[in-house]
Amino acid sequence: MIIDVHAHWGPWFFSMEVGAVATNLAVMDRYGIDLAVVSATEAVIYDVAAGNRAMARVLESSDRLLGYLTVNPRRLDDAERDLRELLPTGRFVGVKIHTDYTGSPANSPQTRAALELATAHGLPALVHTWDTTPLDLAQAVADVPGARAIAGHMGANGWRHAVEAANSVDRLWLEPCFSHTEAGRFAAVAAAVDPRRLLFGTDATLIDPAAAYGAVLAADLSPELAERVAWRNAAELFRLDLP
Amino acid sequence: MPVTGNPFVADDLAPVTLDIDVLVGRYADRPGPTGEPAAVTAMLAANGVERAAVASLRAALFDVRSGNDEVAALAGPGVLPVGGLDLRDPLGAEREVARLAERGFRAVRLFPDEQRVEPDFPSVRHVARRATEAGLVILTGGDVRRFWRPLCGATVVFLDTHFYHLGDFVVAARDEPGFHTSTRLLNSPDALETVAAHLGVERLLYGSRTPFYEPVVPRLRLARGGLGPSAVAAVAGGNARRILGLAK
Repeated sequence: MIIDVHAHWGPWFFSMEVGAVATNLAVMDRYGIDLAVVSATEAVIYDVAAGNRAMARVLESSDRLLGYLTVNPRRLDDAERDLRELLPTGRFVGVKIHTDYTGSPANSPQTRAALELATAHGLPALVHTWDTTPLDLAQAVADVPGARAIAGHMGANGWRHAVEAANSVDRLWLEPCFSHTEAGRFAAVAAAVDPRRLLFGTDATLIDPAAAYGAVLAADLSPELAERVAWRNAAELFRLDLP
Repeated sequence: MPVTGNPFVADDLAPVTLDIDVLVGRYADRPGPTGEPAAVTAMLAANGVERAAVASLRAALFDVRSGNDEVAALAGPGVLPVGGLDLRDPLGAEREVARLAERGFRAVRLFPDEQRVEPDFPSVRHVARRATEAGLVILTGGDVRRFWRPLCGATVVFLDTHFYHLGDFVVAARDEPGFHTSTRLLNSPDALETVAAHLGVERLLYGSRTPFYEPVVPRLRLARGGLGPSAVAAVAGGNARRILGLAK
């Protein structure tokens, strides 16, 4: 069992053709990924309301996909309406916040308010982090009682800061996706943080799962830790009722 | 639920018969491995890499001549030495190109990012021309969207082509039959297949940047993508041998 906690559905603006849901499923099959939690690229990059509704329709088509409801911290009225209207579908299990596309840094008041909104609905938030921003996210999580967040990309090249962040608060999780696969990165993080805080995320279909899968594979984890990374921690975080 | 084992497995990877992007030596300005040759060759062997085009960071960052002598001493069944050049010293670089060609090197490597050299510096075009005149293949770092221009006419492998910039590589390479790319950062779901469709699979060369990057990642991408076995074999070494003029 493998759960990908950082995936997307929809097209990207680069020279690539990866927008069909069939591509999601094909890419998952290549790597034995059973379940992916996806956000709509349209919602992340441009129009959150339209993207979330398109995502809801796609989620009806496959039991291998669960959804992030994307929240633009600059448009929290939209977010409240989307949560009210789309959570009853039962297919959204978390909130996606992209700090860069929305111009909302992790330490901004609006992102903190978005975390409060997700927490009020009992949802974890996947938040884009880069460089030093896992530290900002950790502080925001610490400041919002009950908030649970995933540091997307575990800071990318700033993974050492992600270690510090994850060790500073017990409600922050890390996932490794990053197109630059520095040798030893995941092994070093896995050796330095609580094993219950590690997740598997790929950024598919922007990035092929080879990047994250290879990073985890190269870390040569024990079977117990590998299963935690692969799905157990995700199942607990998202409160999934798995067969 | 009981533990059932590590679900991350990869017993389907083809061997790499020639890796185009391997370094020995260290970066003084960043954490990471020291790049001792024995450790690098052990890492290659552990990852199914049979032979590698190896350049020296000593040559790139400190002293060209002793760095290239260091890598020349590693030559053997598993190591094809690649000469490093310093674009900050074009006069020294042209002397080193001549020396390397005389010693039988088949390729040189450019390090514009590490040396903070920009594509419109005269050095880049000049050194590329001298290398090409000497019959040497050029391996280069740098942003392909900018370094394509001074390398027109050369047989070159762009080592840093990111899939974000793949469209730029493709349109530039349509007019440049000598343009090739490493697979290291082509890790989107359709990047390899896009190059194969638009330019031909012969433009793709497996590159890992061992010991600084995980060599298993481009192997996984190659194994689990849409290329057939003969194309995979070409990318995993055949194409590199062809442009370097090596027998299998």
